[in-house]
Amino acid sequence: MLRLKTTITALALLASSSLAGAEEITLWVRTSSGAVLQGLADKYNASHSDKVNVTQITAEQMVPKLGAAIAGSAAPDGAVLDLIYLPTFAAADGLEDISDFVKGLPYSAAMSPSHIRLATYDGKIYGVPALPDASIIAYNTDLFTKAGLDPNKAPASMEEIATDAKKIAALGNETYGFYFVANSGSWLIYDFLPHLWAASADVLSDDGRSATVDTPALRETIAAYRDMWKAGAIHPTSRSGNGNNAVEAFASGKVGILMTGSYIVNLLTSKYPDVKFAVAPIPGPKGGESSFAGGDTLSLIKGISEEKKKVALDFVNFYMQPEQQVYITQESGMPSRTDLAAEAYAKFDQRNLVAYNILAKGRTPYTFSSDELFVSRTGPFLNLIQGTIFGDDVDGTIAKTQADFTRILERTNPN
Amino acid sequence: MVSSTLRSRRRAVATGEPEPKGWLGLAFILPGLLFIVVLFLVPLVMTVWMSFYNWPLLGRTKFIGLSNYAELIGDTQLWHSLGFTLLYTVLVTAAIFLVAFPLALLVDRPLRIAGFFRTIYFMPVVIGFGAASTLWMWLLNPDSGVFAQLLRGAGIIDSAPRPLESFWPALGVVILMVVWKTAGFTMIILLTGLQSISNDVIEAARIDGASVWSRFRRITLPLMRNSVVLALVLNVTSSMLAFDQFFIITQGGPENSTISAVFSIYLASFSSYRLGYGSAISFALLVVLVAISAIQFVLLRQRPEEG
Repeated sequence: MLRLKTTITALALLASSSLAGAEEITLWVRTSSGAVLQGLADKYNASHSDKVNVTQITAEQMVPKLGAAIAGSAAPDGAVLDLIYLPTFAAADGLEDISDFVKGLPYSAAMSPSHIRLATYDGKIYGVPALPDASIIAYNTDLFTKAGLDPNKAPASMEEIATDAKKIAALGNETYGFYFVANSGSWLIYDFLPHLWAASADVLSDDGRSATVDTPALRETIAAYRDMWKAGAIHPTSRSGNGNNAVEAFASGKVGILMTGSYIVNLLTSKYPDVKFAVAPIPGPKGGESSFAGGDTLSLIKGISEEKKKVALDFVNFYMQPEQQVYITQESGMPSRTDLAAEAYAKFDQRNLVAYNILAKGRTPYTFSSDELFVSRTGPFLNLIQGTIFGDDVDGTIAKTQADFTRILERTNPN
Repeated sequence: MVSSTLRSRRRAVATGEPEPKGWLGLAFILPGLLFIVVLFLVPLVMTVWMSFYNWPLLGRTKFIGLSNYAELIGDTQLWHSLGFTLLYTVLVTAAIFLVAFPLALLVDRPLRIAGFFRTIYFMPVVIGFGAASTLWMWLLNPDSGVFAQLLRGAGIIDSAPRPLESFWPALGVVILMVVWKTAGFTMIILLTGLQSISNDVIEAARIDGASVWSRFRRITLPLMRNSVVLALVLNVTSSMLAFDQFFIITQGGPENSTISAVFSIYLASFSSYRLGYGSAISFALLVVLVAISAIQFVLLRQRPEEG
């Protein structure tokens, strides 16, 4: 009897709250970002009558699942997506235009430019940055000192990296100068493409519709990598590595320079406090610097109701406030806004600022076929790196990549 | 022992009651029939239907007739993967038989310890292919894997082996893994064949002075032909459909040289997001598989006494 009463009360409460106009929205989030988004949703739900529900989706399944859900009209209200997929979903008419909202924000100028670029299709904006990150290099200052290099001066070009790496490898005792993850497409775009961007080159045109693989910058960068590989200065696991052992290898103190991302600072200081390291932007072949602006963008799915849209955008504005930005920085390493360095990093390792400052210069490939071109383990970009750095036929591999890219682009470019 | 009780039971069934009514038989097979219709025929028809469309994951589908099949014929990567799958099938089936036959002969003893070894050899079979592949991925890890540690610890090699960086070693470790995982199953099938051979026949041959080798070649092998063909059909079919081991261990590398046929269906459907083209490849592979199985079933139909 008592249980029945409580049920009725609960139902009545539910009814009254829905009468009061409380909305519930659902966001799909990839697992790696799930905890932070859940934390933000909890904070929001505790202080608002509307509710934000977070559903975690395995990263590799996000695109097929969301695609199937949109096709079957069973999509969530919004999704926190890897920003690289934004052009694909926007071009397929799957996302809600939020241009006015983004442009109207008082801090709209303080959003990662690459995130906004990727969220823009046909002049309209379809997303806002949620959890950004940026690729950088980390180098072991102890090994730099031992090899007679200046630990306070980061290598400023690929050529310098190659020279330094060979000196570090010459220390012997299974010490290697350089580590990069060469057997994973998503790692390679994160850590290799910035070399090209630093020299104002790219493998795709600005609109993502044509391939520009063969550039002097690519050939110079590859020459530096080949030089290191031939000299035995690259850690042998780089070639077949998928990233699982990269941080451990660097933390073991046997690797001079690691191609990595902004999260490395907090990860090393908390898990491997004994490693002496510094971080720097990713250099181009002969100078310059850039970074891969990665991470997540929040988008709303096309067809969301006006009421739910209001809640979702209110949630965006909520997590963009300084208090939540500090929380995001603490949990995932970098705030979504680029104008809050002082607040966000006050309590954290100042080396984080290197990645934070480079984010504004960071780029991301604007593409409608990210998985097929870049991410796939059998895709042309991964085969370009494997073939040119570890293989024998540099010219042939570059020509084949240009042809493969062109073939895929011709098929996937939206009309 | 086991075989003689089995045979007496079979005789009892043969002399049993008259055949039940037809409708009753239909009622009995109805659940199975429903199963086949819902889980096989409906998806099959849908696959064929989808293969006539340009069917992207996102966006609108469009009828394109036979274009997917036309593209399939000119797809060099696909033909390469089909050739690779055939090569793998031949090698792995041979390897499995080379291991499973001696194992079956070894455990075909009336000793109590034989049961223990049968269990040991059969154990890897119950592991799923995905789990086994992931396990071997860790065993093969050059930095922290067991194989590298053991080989280096024993002083056999100086630096960790990296078999996944070139074609033949990569194929070699996959075959090694598959033999480890599935030889036990083939062993059991061959064992049932061995045990169905009456001891009297062997005994008679021995009295006639047949050597061990000729007893095996002229008596054992022909009499267990059905088991051999069954094991062959099962091994060939599952090898032609190989996916997990290449998806997880070699990931198609190096340089896309270990992409199996099913892997290319996966790539078309879930990397290029071309569900229509993926369906066309699926259907083409089905035709190839039916052809291969048909040939094998012809072999299976020929009873030893007819041949």
